[in-house]
Amino acid sequence: MKDILKTGIILLIIAAVAAVALGLTNEVTKDKIAEQRFLANEQAKKAVLATAATFEDITGEDLEAITSTFAPVTEAYVGLDASGAVVGYVFKSTPNGFSGAVEVVTGIDGNGTVTGLRVGSHNETPGLGAKAKDAAFFDQYNGKLTDGPIGVSKTAASGNDIQAITGATITSVAVTSGANASIDAYKWIMENGGIGK
Amino acid sequence: MKLSNLTNGIIKENPIFVQLLGMCPTLAVTTSAINGIGMGLATTAVLASSNVAIALLRKFIPAQVRIPAFVVVISTFVTVVGMLMEAFLPALFSSLGLFIPLIVVNCIILARAEAFASKNGVGDSLLDGIGMGLGFTLALVILGSVRELIGNGSLFGAALLGANYQPALIMILPPGGFLALGLLLALYNSYQIKKAK
Repeated sequence: MKDILKTGIILLIIAAVAAVALGLTNEVTKDKIAEQRFLANEQAKKAVLATAATFEDITGEDLEAITSTFAPVTEAYVGLDASGAVVGYVFKSTPNGFSGAVEVVTGIDGNGTVTGLRVGSHNETPGLGAKAKDAAFFDQYNGKLTDGPIGVSKTAASGNDIQAITGATITSVAVTSGANASIDAYKWIMENGGIGK
Repeated sequence: MKLSNLTNGIIKENPIFVQLLGMCPTLAVTTSAINGIGMGLATTAVLASSNVAIALLRKFIPAQVRIPAFVVVISTFVTVVGMLMEAFLPALFSSLGLFIPLIVVNCIILARAEAFASKNGVGDSLLDGIGMGLGFTLALVILGSVRELIGNGSLFGAALLGANYQPALIMILPPGGFLALGLLLALYNSYQIKKAK
């Protein structure tokens, strides 16, 4: 009986020390981690819309209208330059790839040109679909026009088409569908006179 | 302190090729050589520090509850390191952060705590942790290099085999992990048998 009590108490002490250590670390790093995540997010947006200095979230009714009509778009941001004028929009969409959702961030400037696209977290096959994260693939979207949808070609990129990753057509189509949904959302915003002016 | 504790883990008692420990992260992360280095070094750091902590506490922890006590100590360590890294070393975190949660479930760490650190002094345990970690890193890099070279035609991200090489994609998919590991184990064992003769 005494032995069990002693063993239990020692385990309790170890667990308590561990809990205190974790709590303290969390207290110290919490704000810093939130800041780092915020910065990483800002950088991702800046990478696709370089002309913007700051970004504002599109929220409320506007966001609801966008996400309900233009699935898989889930988030939208207004890009503002240093003087506060709207220079473009950034959309986050999560189309379904070969194995689960693929995070696609698309930037479109005020002239209706795609300024950049990045692929975020995904579960695509390494060596195949995961190549969507390579510049060789996502740079193809730079400069595409929003006049019509972007197409996917298996042989060679031409006009408003991009060339699919060899062996990963499903991923290529998924990323493109995310870009096209973003383009549709962009058009809707422009038709409604823009948001954030 | 004996130097053999350091060198044992690298070849003679290599955690992967001899002890067959930590198969799960081994198969999962070795799709490229650089991944092997990241996972290996992150594990080495945790292994060395958890070995020291366990060796310090070995007289305090009763034998009956040593496993739960080890698990609490190790997972606290990993979590604290992960949080500190994300807060203060974001660049390192973005390349190694993926591996941090995988280390918690890595049985090498528990195995070394149980088999070595709980029976030996602090200095020897530190050497054992570093040696085992380096052995793990070495094995992961070899496995990752083989898979990356055959499956993607590149090594550490640099294309080596030219554009005409048709990569055997299966090598970087999950089955390739088993194939490469099995063949390397056979190679290692045949070498050891020859040496013994």
